[in-house]
Order: sequence, then C-alpha cells, then structure tokens
Amino acid sequence: MIPIESESKTKDGTPVVYISKENLIPFMKEKKDEGYDMLLMVTGVDYVDHLEVVYHLLSTKDGRRLLVKTKTDEEVDSVTGIWPGANWHERETYDLVGIRFRNHPNLKRILLPEGWVGHPLRKNYPMDKKQYVNLGEDGEDKVSYDPKEGY
Amino acid sequence: MTDSILLTTLDEALRWGKGKSLWPFTFGLACCAIEMMSAMGPDYDWARFGADVFRDSPRHADLMIVSGTVTKKMAPRIRRLYDQMAFPKYVISMGACASAGGPYVRGYSVVDGVDKVVPVDIYVYGCPPRPEALIQALKQLQDSIASGKVRH
Amino acid sequence: MEKVVEVNFGPQHPSTHGVLRIKVKLDGEIIVDAQPVIGYLHRNAEKLSEMGLYPKALIYMDRLDYVAALNMELGYILSVEKLMDVETPERAQWIRMMMVELNRIASHLVWLGTHGLDMGMLTPFFYCWRERERVLRIFDEITGSRLLYNYFSIGGVYSDLTPKGIDMIKEFVNTFPDRLEEIQSIFQKSYIYAKRTKGVGKLTLDDAIAYGVTGPLLRASGLKWDLRKNQPYLFYEKVNFDVPVYTNGDVYSRFLVRVEEMRQSTKIVKQVLEKLPDGDFYNKKYAKPMLVRMKGSGESYVPTESPKGEFGVYVIGDGSTIPYRVRIRSPSFANLQAVSIMLKGYKIADLTATVSSVDPVFGEVDR
Ligand code: SF4
Repeated sequence: MIPIESESKTKDGTPVVYISKENLIPFMKEKKDEGYDMLLMVTGVDYVDHLEVVYHLLSTKDGRRLLVKTKTDEEVDSVTGIWPGANWHERETYDLVGIRFRNHPNLKRILLPEGWVGHPLRKNYPMDKKQYVNLGEDGEDKVSYDPKEGY
Repeated sequence: MTDSILLTTLDEALRWGKGKSLWPFTFGLACCAIEMMSAMGPDYDWARFGADVFRDSPRHADLMIVSGTVTKKMAPRIRRLYDQMAFPKYVISMGACASAGGPYVRGYSVVDGVDKVVPVDIYVYGCPPRPEALIQALKQLQDSIASGKVRH
Repeated sequence: MEKVVEVNFGPQHPSTHGVLRIKVKLDGEIIVDAQPVIGYLHRNAEKLSEMGLYPKALIYMDRLDYVAALNMELGYILSVEKLMDVETPERAQWIRMMMVELNRIASHLVWLGTHGLDMGMLTPFFYCWRERERVLRIFDEITGSRLLYNYFSIGGVYSDLTPKGIDMIKEFVNTFPDRLEEIQSIFQKSYIYAKRTKGVGKLTLDDAIAYGVTGPLLRASGLKWDLRKNQPYLFYEKVNFDVPVYTNGDVYSRFLVRVEEMRQSTKIVKQVLEKLPDGDFYNKKYAKPMLVRMKGSGESYVPTESPKGEFGVYVIGDGSTIPYRVRIRSPSFANLQAVSIMLKGYKIADLTATVSSVDPVFGEVDR
C-alpha cells in the first residue's frame, strides 16, 4: 500500500489523491492494475511557488475516474512505461509548462518549434517579448529574438 | 497608331483572361478553410465565377487563399509555398486572423497578419467571413486584374 | 540491400485536412515508421483563456474544433457551471442537447465529404455539403452565425429557438435519413472504396485504450464506450438511442460507425423536439451583463462526447473572475498519436485513408 498524502474531491465529484513524487510510479502501476487503463491527459499547473502535475485516469471497464496530483520542482518520473499514450501529453506539458519527465523516450518540444525560449504557460512568461521563427538551411525551425530573422 | 491600338486590346484581352481563369491553391489553415470549402460547395458554388480548378500543387496555381491563423511555425512554410507559385500570382487574405491576427493577436505564437509574410491583394474581414464575402473578394480581385489595377 | 527512404508528408498537403506533417520512413512501398509532427496551428488557446474573463474564454473554445463548435462550448460551459455552482433551466439543457446533436451531424458530414475526396471520390463531397448547409442554415437562424456560434452562456443559452428554426429542424430530421441512405450507398456500392478501406489502418482494442483513443475510433475497435450512455450528462438518459459498435478496427468500420451515429443523432433531435418543455432559456438570476462578474473557485472537469471523442475542459479557479488554469482535453490529440501504430506495415497509398479516418481537426490538436 502506497501512502497517500491527502485526498479531496473536485467540484464535479471526482476523487483526487495527492501523492509524493517519489511514490508516483509504483502508485500508478498499482492503479493500472486496479483497472484504470486509460490515461486521459497530463496537466501541468504553475502555482508560482511550486509546480503540480495532474493525471486524469479513467477505467473503461466501469467508468471510474481518478485525479492523481503530485507536487514537483520541474522534474518528475515519466509514466510512458505504464501508458504509452502519455508520450505526447508529457511532451506537451514539457513544452508549455516546463516540467521535465525523467526516462521519457523523446522529450522534445511538440507544439512550439525547437529552440523556443521559455515555457508559455508559466505565470512569469514574458508575453511582450516576441520570438521569431524561420526555416534553417536544413529545413528545421530556427528561433531568434530578432524581428528581421523570421516571422 | 494601329499597332498601339492592337497592343492595348491584346493586353486587355490577356488581363480579362487572367482574371477569369484563376486557379486557386488548395490551402487551408484553420476554421476559415471550412468556410472556403463551403464556398466551393454546392450551395455557393463559386465555379460560377471561373475559379473552380482547385490545384493541389503551388506550381499549378496562381491564387493563394490564406484561410486561417498564421502561426510562427507555419509562416516560413507559407513563404516557401508562395515562392513556389508561378507568376502571375495573387493572394487573398481570408478572415480576421490572416488579416491582422484576429482573436489570437495577443498570443505568443501567432503572426499578426499574413501581410508580414507574403504580399496581399485583397483582405476579407469576418471571423469567419461568410462564403458570400469570399466570393465578393474573388469578384473584386477579378475586376481589378481585368482593369489592370493589380499586376504581378 | 535494404534502403529506407524518409519522406515528408505535409505540412501542406491536400489530404491532411489542415497543417499536419508526417515523417514517413519507407522501405519500398511499405511504411516502416510514421511520426506525426504537429504544432503548425498552435494558437495559444490555453494561455489566452487564462488572460481573460470566464465568458471570454468561450470564443477560444469555439475555435478548437471548428466543425463542431457547439460541442466544444458545451464541454467548457458544463465545467464552468460546476465551478460556479450555477443551475441551468431544463429548457436550456434540452436546447443544448439538440444543438449539440445537430452539430455532431454537421461535423460527421464534413468528415464524410472530405474522406470521399481523399479516397478519390468527388461526388459525396457535394452530397454531404448540401446536407451540411441545411444544418448551418438552422444554426444561422437560431444562433445568428454559420460556423462559430458563441451560443451557450453560463446558465443557459443566448437566444431561444424561433418558430421558424423549429420548422427548419423538423424538415431536416424528416428528410435527412433518406438522404443519408443515398450518401452511404455511394460509398458502399463502390468496389474501389471497399477495397481501399477494408482491413486498412487497423487498431486493436488494447492499443486504442493504451493510447487514450476515444470516440468513433474506439467504437470501431470494439468497445461500447460512449459517454452519452456510460456517463450521461444533460438529459441523455431520457432519450432513446443506440451506440454503434464494430470490431474490425479498420477504416471501413470507422466509416460505418460515423454514419450510424448520424442516424442516431437525428433520432435524438426528433425526441428532443417532442419533449422540449416550456420555460426560461437562461437562468434569470444571472443576466447577461452579470456574467463577466462571475467568480469561480475549485476545480472541475466534465467529460462530454464530442464527435471526435472524449472532450472536456479542466478548469481551475482561484476565486477571481479569471480562470487560473484551463486545460483542454482534446480527443484528436490523443487519437492522432495512435496514427503511427495504425500505419506501420501498410502501403504508402493507405496513408491518406488512415489519416483521414482519424478525423483530426487541427484547431483542436494544436490548440
Ligand atoms: S478569422 Fe476566425 S474563423 Fe478565421 S481562422 Fe481566424 S479564428 Fe478561425
């Protein structure tokens, strides 16, 4: 039995469990065995003083739902080994919120071009500092702060 | 004297022909592309105005309809597609997004206006513009090509 | 000597339905590996929603899945109503349900038409668009807009049904099933279509669940999972309808599932018209100017069945008038991820059929 830090409920009645980030992988394995066979999404939330990762789980057998939350400081273990579908969701969370997932097979930016500076969904992301993208010689994206360098 | 008259008429005929045989480029970016497809569809049927040969390759087309939000990642690619089109070539910027960034103008990865990327001949406002508006833009473009106001 | 060639497919390609790029590794004609590359339509919906008031984020929801805008609005509005503890009058909920089903028909018709184009059939496109225009005219009459509506509001809908609108809906649901039969027969009578889609792009049920695939794709792979039946929201438990399930998991089954869903949606709309109660179409406690002052706290996620799969918006409120975090669960994003499995081992010519059978809409994939 893996210790749960605390429990609560969302407004629509889904149970929420908080788990420490060391226990995340064993806990998720246990939940998968309990029947939560689908990972709906991975969310990163920036609470300014800390980051939080939220996993939405669903059991397609009986329709139970569960939210698993874990507090982190930019790094947490990847769950791609348990649900292969986590791959893109974790890449997106890395891209937009800047949470690095350990042991992820291909942790690269997914929505923004490679080379983008910063993670836009952080609360302190500078929205007024524009970045410009252009195609490099090799056909990949090139990012710079110079408006003459791209669009 | 007679030469010059013949030349003007030929030029006019050429311009008229250019205007009436625009080949648009099948190029959809976002929501506006769906309305562009509606304009192609049976209800609005813009084949009536001589622009029905939608081409899948930029090299065959001479009208690019930028229908949708231009993101920073896509903009260099749009430029490349535009460069691949043969002269004469025209651009219609469809919708608020392509014209000025639209509802996403405050975002971090959206180009505010496709005119930063390619030269635009006609702007269509609306979010999304109704198919009628697009057809009007097409008519306007045809008229200005025929009257010599737009040349490329 | 074996030689693997890498081919780039997109981001501009007429059959990707938007700006999708697929890096395909080919051994001769066989696909060894296919990796979708996305992000060409990343429009910052999540960030922009965090920068404005609650009702304002609705316009970004509209533009997610732009062929089924009302379904997207519903997911957001239901979440926000939970967050704010707002009651919705019964009539408003019935109206919502009907509009959402009509939008589902419109969305599937867009898919069917463009799927026909991808398979080299031009005729179904015109048939489907003719029907779709009729739905759009209904929306135009009731909501005042053709494609992006901004129609659902917190606590109800923005305008009531008009008598003319109801007549139009009645006429539509009475004639649509026959027309659908006609469209379906164009596909099914085509020997080429069947050859090109049966047994192509297979997705097993285990893979589908592991990759978080939902919606018609999951039902075509053999799981009877429809949130309207399994976890009803609105009044779905009060109407009669079936959930089509096929077990082959190929492109042809997905086609059958979607066509059958359209038929079931028509059935639902008919029942709603019969059961529609009188009353308010929005909660009188929250008049429209009030909406911008509404505060939300806590967190909520209400899953809904959009035409593409499970859609929901996870909203976190911090007690102010601006949402703290908005996270969109977009079905196409997860479904598209499974494309690489669906394609492995098939011929390059099957690529267009498979990709279009996923029905990705890029506003929603990239957000
Ligand atoms: S102008 Fe409006 S409809 Fe057109 S692409 Fe932009 S958001 Fe979509």
